[in-house]
Amino acid sequence: MLNAKPTLKSTLKALLYLAPLLIITLLFTVWPLIHALLMSSYVRYNYFTNHVGALGWDNFVYLWHDPLFHLALRNTLWLVLVAMPVTVALALLIALGLNHIPRLARFFQTIYFLPFVTATIATGLVWNWIFRLDGGLLNVSLHHLGIAPIDWLNDPHVALLALIVVCVWQGLGFNVVLFLAGLNRIDDKYARVAQLDGANAWQRFTNVTWPLLLPMTVLIVINTAVTNFKVFDQAFALFHGAAGPGNAALTLMFYLYQKFYVDNQFTVAAASGVVLFCLVGLLTLLTYGYFRWQRRRLGGRS
Amino acid sequence: MKKLSRYLLIMAALGLVGVLGACGRQTTAPAPTKRTTVTFWHGMTGTSQQTLNAMIRDFNHSQTKYRVVASGQGNFANVQQKITAAAKSQTLPTLAQTTYTNVPDYLHGKFIVPLNGYITKRTLNRIDPTLRQVSQYHGKTYAMPFSKSIGLLFYNQDLLRQLHLTVPRTWNDLARDAAKAHANGYTGLALDQTFRPQWSALACQAGTPLVAKHPQLSSPRMLAATDVIYQMIKHQTAATAGTDGFGNVRFLKGKTLFYTGTSAAIGIMQANTPKGLHWSAAKMPSFRGNPRVYAVQGNELVMFSSASPAQRRGAAALMKFLLAEKQTLKWAKATGYLPLTTKALRSQDYRDYLAKNPAAKATVKSLPYGKPDTAFYGYSETQDAATQVADELAALQTTPKQGLAQLQRKLTALQTDGE
Repeated sequence: MLNAKPTLKSTLKALLYLAPLLIITLLFTVWPLIHALLMSSYVRYNYFTNHVGALGWDNFVYLWHDPLFHLALRNTLWLVLVAMPVTVALALLIALGLNHIPRLARFFQTIYFLPFVTATIATGLVWNWIFRLDGGLLNVSLHHLGIAPIDWLNDPHVALLALIVVCVWQGLGFNVVLFLAGLNRIDDKYARVAQLDGANAWQRFTNVTWPLLLPMTVLIVINTAVTNFKVFDQAFALFHGAAGPGNAALTLMFYLYQKFYVDNQFTVAAASGVVLFCLVGLLTLLTYGYFRWQRRRLGGRS
Repeated sequence: MKKLSRYLLIMAALGLVGVLGACGRQTTAPAPTKRTTVTFWHGMTGTSQQTLNAMIRDFNHSQTKYRVVASGQGNFANVQQKITAAAKSQTLPTLAQTTYTNVPDYLHGKFIVPLNGYITKRTLNRIDPTLRQVSQYHGKTYAMPFSKSIGLLFYNQDLLRQLHLTVPRTWNDLARDAAKAHANGYTGLALDQTFRPQWSALACQAGTPLVAKHPQLSSPRMLAATDVIYQMIKHQTAATAGTDGFGNVRFLKGKTLFYTGTSAAIGIMQANTPKGLHWSAAKMPSFRGNPRVYAVQGNELVMFSSASPAQRRGAAALMKFLLAEKQTLKWAKATGYLPLTTKALRSQDYRDYLAKNPAAKATVKSLPYGKPDTAFYGYSETQDAATQVADELAALQTTPKQGLAQLQRKLTALQTDGE
């Protein structure tokens, strides 16, 4: 049955099964995307009456000249470039560790997964308390180490770092679970054969585990990068509805929110969404291309 | 057979009783009148929400024609977001709580209606003149003042006494006193997350409103007005609330001499004052002997064009109800907001309240000097640009000179875009 040649009837039947999800995707994902793309080209647009004055590149020109957008872009790129590798590396380390303690693995998996399923607003409030200048857990700990307290949330020099820490922490659990799933799929025989050939633990990791884990790593890297490109609620909860002191933790999504809901610049918000979409797409393609090249280099199928 | 006939008899009797009962009900009970539902979105929480709900319950009990269904959206930002989304999807309520500065934007979106024709001029004239200023736009009445407050200077009475100081009358006095407090290990002045409202009032005293269609921000007086707060933050005699949101959180810990906020904070502060801490409020200080100007803050009620004529009449009835002396006094006493009508402000009831709550006295004394910003299309964007610069000044990322020049450039560009 599974190997049967597809016919018009079987295709239609399959489409019928897929229809609910397809309709939802088209209605709530594809159409808003097209609409945002169109809106980004509207000039003198009345959002409420749908009156379009003209079409053009004005919104993108606005972004090109807006220092606030530049700041948001810079901060977002920093966030992705720092938080993504740190999250992936930490998740891999933890997963490798958990893989060696199968008895407690489930317990720790649950612990690491908790941040992923907890409401961001709740975790934001907890982190707010951890980072507080007066009596915050982190500053109390630093005090015991003889380090002067740092105003993590109100000092523009460290606010972005605080946000990065929260993003890393929140993304860790999901990635650990994914890495564990990838590790469990690797047959022990390969490692044992390598061991018989005299490979040490590091060589076994670099020559056996890592190449076999590559497809999962691609998924995790792309997923983490996309998640970090879209950081908004973490910043909103951490900085009490602001984008950090003096916009020090302004992200692209926060910029979009401000333009749409605070400034009523709907078309500029749409244009910034398009830029964000292009950035995410570009990064995904680059990552995918790089790992494909890596896989070919390691002797896998291209 | 006998059993069956008895059963049928009982059933027939029950049926007859049912029919007769139904007929009886039809003839004796009055036909229920269908009341018009008026939907109302607001952003009140805590005590203010409870008081508002009680007032709406009273209104509904007093009515046979209308029924108001209030829906709290959590906070003011949420109400704005919901209005934006609902205006697009054409699911707006009958009326909502918003700031009058949004009226030009709503008018541009063609989803707001004037209150003229529903609220008489006589009713409007009952409102205090300072508060009434905001209701008009382009010659028509769009906004009904509702939850209004005014900027105040809160002071810690114990610290003031301990430091041998008196309530400052000018910003220079305030800066000097704050420096003294700082030298003694206290915070001089606590500000909210953004100090834009205070900056705005200072700017007005320096001769130009900060959030205006054509602001002139490069004058030496404007620079001096901006420098007052900037220098205090730079020398750590003043501190913004940051992630606390409101400066009263720091103030109520008892180690801060002054806090500038609005009269809307009075109720919350009274409820959260720890034992042994004594505070009061005074009028905001003046700047370089210029006429005192205080920022009037808060929200209004507006009515949307999607509402039916009956719903609009119901919304107007609610607005009139809220202006009644008994209601506006109830609102003011429970929340710290201002009573809306001149009569209520002068009433014996309110005077008795002020005698018991001296902190609120400053509110009434400040009211004649209140100067709300002028609403214009693009106000939100202009205000946000000013807030951004205020935040950068608070984070010492820019200087007053650079910040004002940056803001002037931004506002000029916005103006050019708008035109």
